[in-house]
Amino acid sequence: MKAHAIAPALLAALASPVAWPQAAHDALQPAGPQAAHIASLWWLAVAICAVVFVAILAALAWALWRAPRAQASTPPEISPPPAAERRHARGVAIALGVCIVLLVVILVGSISTDRALASLPLQDAVHIDLTGHQWWWEATYDDPQPDRIFHTANELHVPVGRPVIVTLHSDDVIHSFWVPSLDGKKDLIPGRTAQIEFRADRPGDYRGQCAEYCGLQHAFMALDVIAMPPGEYAAWAEAQRRPAADPADPQARRGRDLFLSGTCMMCHAILGTTASARSAPDLTHVASRARIAAGRLANTPENLAAWIHDPQAIKPGANMPANLLAPDDLHAVVAYLETLR
Amino acid sequence: MSSRFPSRARHRLRAHGAAWLCVALALVFAAGCERETRRFDPKPVPSDLRTQPQSLPDLQPGQPGPGMRETASAGRYDEKSAYEVAQGKMLFRWYNCSGCHAQGGGNMGPALMDTTWIYGSDPDSVFSTIMDGRPRGMPSFRGRIPEAQVWELVAYVRSMSGLIPNEAAPNRDEGLGGAPPESMRKPQPPKDSDAKVGG
Amino acid sequence: MTRHRPVRGARALLAALVIAAAFPARAQQRPTVDEGSWPMPAHDVANTRFSPLDQIDTRNAHALKLAFSFATGTTHGNEAAPIVVGSTMYVATPFPNTLYAFDLTKPGAHVKWKFEPHPKPSAQGVACCDTVNRGVAYDAGRIFMNTLDGDTVAIDAASGEPVWRTHLGDVAKGETMTMAPFVVKGKVIVGNSGGEMGVRGWLTALDEATGKIAWRAYSTGPDADVRIGPRFKPHYAQDQGKDLGVTTWPPQAWKTGGGNAWGWVSYDPELDLLYYGTANPGPWDPEQRPGADKWTSGVFARDPASGDAIWFYQWSPHDLHDYDGVNENVLVDLEIGGRTRKVLLHADRNGYLYVLDRATGEVLSADAFAYITTTLGVDLATGGLRYNPAKEEHAGKPVRDICPGSAGGKDWQPSAWSPRTRLLYIPGNNLCQDAEVHETSYIAGTPYVGADLKMHPGPGGYRGEFTAWDPVKRRKAWSVHEYFPVWSGALATAGDVVFYGTMDGWFKALDARTGKLLWKYKTSYGIVGQPVTYRGPDGKQYVAILDGVGGWAGAIVSGDLDPRDATAGGGFVNAMKDLPKYTRKGGTLYVFALP
Repeated sequence: MKAHAIAPALLAALASPVAWPQAAHDALQPAGPQAAHIASLWWLAVAICAVVFVAILAALAWALWRAPRAQASTPPEISPPPAAERRHARGVAIALGVCIVLLVVILVGSISTDRALASLPLQDAVHIDLTGHQWWWEATYDDPQPDRIFHTANELHVPVGRPVIVTLHSDDVIHSFWVPSLDGKKDLIPGRTAQIEFRADRPGDYRGQCAEYCGLQHAFMALDVIAMPPGEYAAWAEAQRRPAADPADPQARRGRDLFLSGTCMMCHAILGTTASARSAPDLTHVASRARIAAGRLANTPENLAAWIHDPQAIKPGANMPANLLAPDDLHAVVAYLETLR
Repeated sequence: MSSRFPSRARHRLRAHGAAWLCVALALVFAAGCERETRRFDPKPVPSDLRTQPQSLPDLQPGQPGPGMRETASAGRYDEKSAYEVAQGKMLFRWYNCSGCHAQGGGNMGPALMDTTWIYGSDPDSVFSTIMDGRPRGMPSFRGRIPEAQVWELVAYVRSMSGLIPNEAAPNRDEGLGGAPPESMRKPQPPKDSDAKVGG
Repeated sequence: MTRHRPVRGARALLAALVIAAAFPARAQQRPTVDEGSWPMPAHDVANTRFSPLDQIDTRNAHALKLAFSFATGTTHGNEAAPIVVGSTMYVATPFPNTLYAFDLTKPGAHVKWKFEPHPKPSAQGVACCDTVNRGVAYDAGRIFMNTLDGDTVAIDAASGEPVWRTHLGDVAKGETMTMAPFVVKGKVIVGNSGGEMGVRGWLTALDEATGKIAWRAYSTGPDADVRIGPRFKPHYAQDQGKDLGVTTWPPQAWKTGGGNAWGWVSYDPELDLLYYGTANPGPWDPEQRPGADKWTSGVFARDPASGDAIWFYQWSPHDLHDYDGVNENVLVDLEIGGRTRKVLLHADRNGYLYVLDRATGEVLSADAFAYITTTLGVDLATGGLRYNPAKEEHAGKPVRDICPGSAGGKDWQPSAWSPRTRLLYIPGNNLCQDAEVHETSYIAGTPYVGADLKMHPGPGGYRGEFTAWDPVKRRKAWSVHEYFPVWSGALATAGDVVFYGTMDGWFKALDARTGKLLWKYKTSYGIVGQPVTYRGPDGKQYVAILDGVGGWAGAIVSGDLDPRDATAGGGFVNAMKDLPKYTRKGGTLYVFALP
C-alpha cells in the first residue's frame, strides 16, 4: 500500500496480534462474586436446559420407536381409545408441570442472582468514572479529596478484595462495559449515567471489551482490568497521581517540545505539562501500560511509532489522524513517551 | 396498462420500464456511494505549498513553536463525503473552534454561518485562514492540526452557510442545539465572492 | 462661581462632610481632588459612585440639555466612565484603546491630546466579552490605563506622554486586560482577564512611580502564590486550611483555573484593606473541576502595601453557572441591629445582595435581588451557598430555566450608593438560560469553556431592571423594568437624581427616592457606559455618558453575530435578537447640563 520507513515495524505489529497470555476472559472462570453469581445462574440454566434437551430427545426417540406401524390398507384411527387419550393427557400434564416448575426454578434463580448482584457490600469502594469513546475507554479515579483524582485510559487497576463502583457515561454512541471474568454487561448510554459494581477476589489480568456495537472499531475496543494486592494497588495509584517528570535525555526533551507545540497536545493530556486536552487518552503514564490503542497493540516503542505515524492502517476509522512526520521527529516523540512511566 | 396496447408492445414497454427503473436506481445508489465513501487511509499526497509559514504568527495554540511538520498530507479537500464533513464538525468542537465561533453564530470570533467572509469563502482561503491565522485574533494552527483534518474543518466551516452539497452536510444535533442542522441551511452565497455555491 | 447661590455650596459641603464622616480623614495619603471631579470610574475608593454635586436636582433635571458631544469613532462597547479632574476630561475607548483628553475650558469637545497605545490586533480574538475598556484612573498628575493586550500604561495627564508602560499579560495564552486600574497608597492595582481561555487570575500592584511590579496575588494555587500567610483570618471554616487553592482542585487544574480580577476594587483607608472579587473558575464545565475551586468567585480583603490576604469569602463555591465574583464592593456604614457596622454591599452574579462585615468577612445578610432558581439561599450560620440540585449540570444533559443566567442578576455594570437616600441603585438583568455542559480540552490560546447556553428573558418577559435596594430593610424600595438588560453603570447625586442608560439608547434621570422618571434623552447608539457627573470650569454641573453598544450583552451588534445560532455570543444572542433593530454600532461621548 505505501512504502515508508516504518513499514517493517508496522508489518510486524500487524503480524503479531495481541497475545493475552494471562488475560482471563472467560465468564465461566469467575474471579469475583458478581461473575460467580452469573456463572452459577448460567450453569443452572445450562443444567436445566440440558436435562430438558435430553428429555425431549428421549421423548422424540420414544415417539419414533413407538410410532404405529400402519399399512396403506390399515383403516385410520378415528377415535383413539379413551384409555390412551387419558394416558397422553396425563403425560402432557406432567410434562407441562415439570416445565413450569423448571421455569419457576430459573426465575427464582434469576431473581436471586439479581439480588445477589445488587447486594455486593460497597464499603471502602474504589470509585471509577468510566466514559466510553469511539474507540477507547476514559477512566477517572474519583476521590473525595479533589487533588487526589487521577486520569488514565484503557487499563484499570483495582485492588483485590475491595469493591469497585464504576460510573458509566458515554461521549458519543452506546457502548457496553463487559469484563466477563468479573461481571456482566452494562451499557454506556450517551445522556445517561449508569453504575456497575464488582469485586476481584483474585489477582490477575482480566480482559474486557465493548459489548455493544459502536462503530467500525468496536471489535478493537478492549479494556484491561488488572487486579492487584492492595499494597501494590496503593503504590500504583500513587504513581498515577504523580505528574510527568521533565525528561533529561535531549532527544526526549525535543520530543516533549514537539508534543506540546504540535498535534499531540490538541487531544492528549500529560499531567505536569501544559497539555491538558481531553479528546484522547491521557498519556501521563502511557509507558506503564501493557497495551496501547485500546488493547489493539502491545506497548512497544515500535508499535507506538507505527501507531503515531498512521493509526488508520491499524484501526481504520479511529479518530486519531495520521502524523506523517520525519523519522527524527517521530523517534523523538516516541522517546519522550517512553519516559512517561 | 389498458388493453389498447397490443400485448407484445405491452411486454416491451414493461421491459423498458424495468430497465429504466434499474438505471435510475443505480444512479441513486451511485450518488449515495460518493456521500458514504470513507477513505480512512488514502495515499499521502505532497504537503500543500501553503504550509510554509509566511511569518511568525501572534497566536499559536499550545506551547509556542513551529509544531509538527508533516512530510506529506494524508488527505485532500472533499466536501462530498458525509464522513469528512462530520469529522470536521467533531473536530470543530474538540479543538475549541466552537468556543470562539459558537455553532456558527460567532462569539469572540465572527459568525461563520452568514454571508460575510472577511478572508474568502473558497476552500483554499479557509484553509489558509486556519493554517496561518489572521491578524485580528484567529490563531494559526499550522503544525498543530494535520492538513487532512484541516481540510475536514474547511468542509465543515463551508457547510455552516450551506456552501457544500447538503447530502454531505451534518444533520440534527443531539443535545442543546443552537442552530438549525447544517443540512437544512439554505445556501448563503458569500458576498463579493466568485465562489460557486454547492448544490 | 458667583452665579451660584451660597446655599447650594453649603449643601454640597454638607454632602461632602457626610461622605467624609464615613471615612475618617487620617488614612488618606494624598490630597484629594476637589469634590467637583470624578477621578476614577467608581468616583471614590469606597466605590459609591455618588457625587456631592446638587445643582441638578429633582426639580430641574427635566431641563437638562446636550452641552456637547464627540464621536469616538469606535464600533465596540463603550463601557468606560469619563474621568474628569480639574478642567480636563479623559475618555478611554475600546480597542484600539485610544485615550482622549478634552479641555473643558474650551467650547465643544476640544481634544487637548490623544494617546494611542497601539495594542496588538490579535488581542481582539481572545477577549471574551467584546474588546471593551472600563476606564482610566487619575492620581497625582498621571492617568493610568490598561490596554487590551495586557499593558498598564502611566500617562502624564498634562501632556499625554507615556511615563511608563509595563507588560503584564500574554495574549498568546488568551490573557487580556479590560478593567480600570485602581490607585491606592502609591500602588496601581490591576487585574487580568481571560478565565474563558483558561488563564490563571491575578491581581498585581505596580509601583505608581516606576511601574515595576510590587506584588502579585494569584487567585488559585499554593498559599504563597495567593499571598496567604499568618495574617489570613477568613471568617468561615470552609475557607480555612493550608493550600486550599491547590487541594480544592483536581491536580494541576488550578493552573488553568481562572479566578481573574477583572472587576472593581475598593479600599477602606481606616481598616487599610483593599477589596476585590475573583471571577469564575475555568472551565465552565463544573464536572472537570470537582471541589470548591478556591479562590474563585469570591471576595478578598488584602493589605494594599504587601498584598497579604486578610480575609476571603466565597460567594459561589464550585461555581456552576459562570457566576463571577468580581462585582463592585461598595463600602458604607450601616445601622444594623442597633449599632453602626462597617459593611460592604455587593450585588453578585448569583442574584444575592450581600451585606458583609468588611473587617472580618462575616455575612450579615444575603437576599435575592433577582429571580433565582439555581440556589436556595445563603446559610448565614456557615456562610455556605445552598445549591438547588435540580439545576446542577451534568455532561450531555441540558438543564432548563437556570435563573439567574450566566450574566447574573447583575454583571459588571456597577451600582451606586446614595448616603442621602441610603439606597443602593443596582442596574441589573432579568435573564434565565438553558444550558448544557460537556467535557472540554484545555489548549493554550483557545477557549476553555465546555458549555452551551441559550439565554432568554426571566419571568415577566422584561430583560432588565433598575433597582433601588434598601440594605437595612433588606428589600427593594422601588424598581423600574426595562426592555433590555440595564448594562450601563449607575450614578447617584446629592441632588437626589440617579442616572443610567439603556441598551436601546435612552439616557435616563430618575428621582432617587421614588424612581419617577425625570428626564430622558435618546442617544444615537445603545448605552453600556458608566455615567459620571462633574463641575465644569464654568461652575456648572455636567453629566457625561458614553454611548456605543457592545460588551457581552451587546455583542450581537458590536460583533455582527448571527441570531440564528441561539448559542452564539455565549448564549446572549438568543436573548438579544431584537437589539439590532434598535441600535447599530458606533460610539459617542455625550455631556449634558442645565441650560
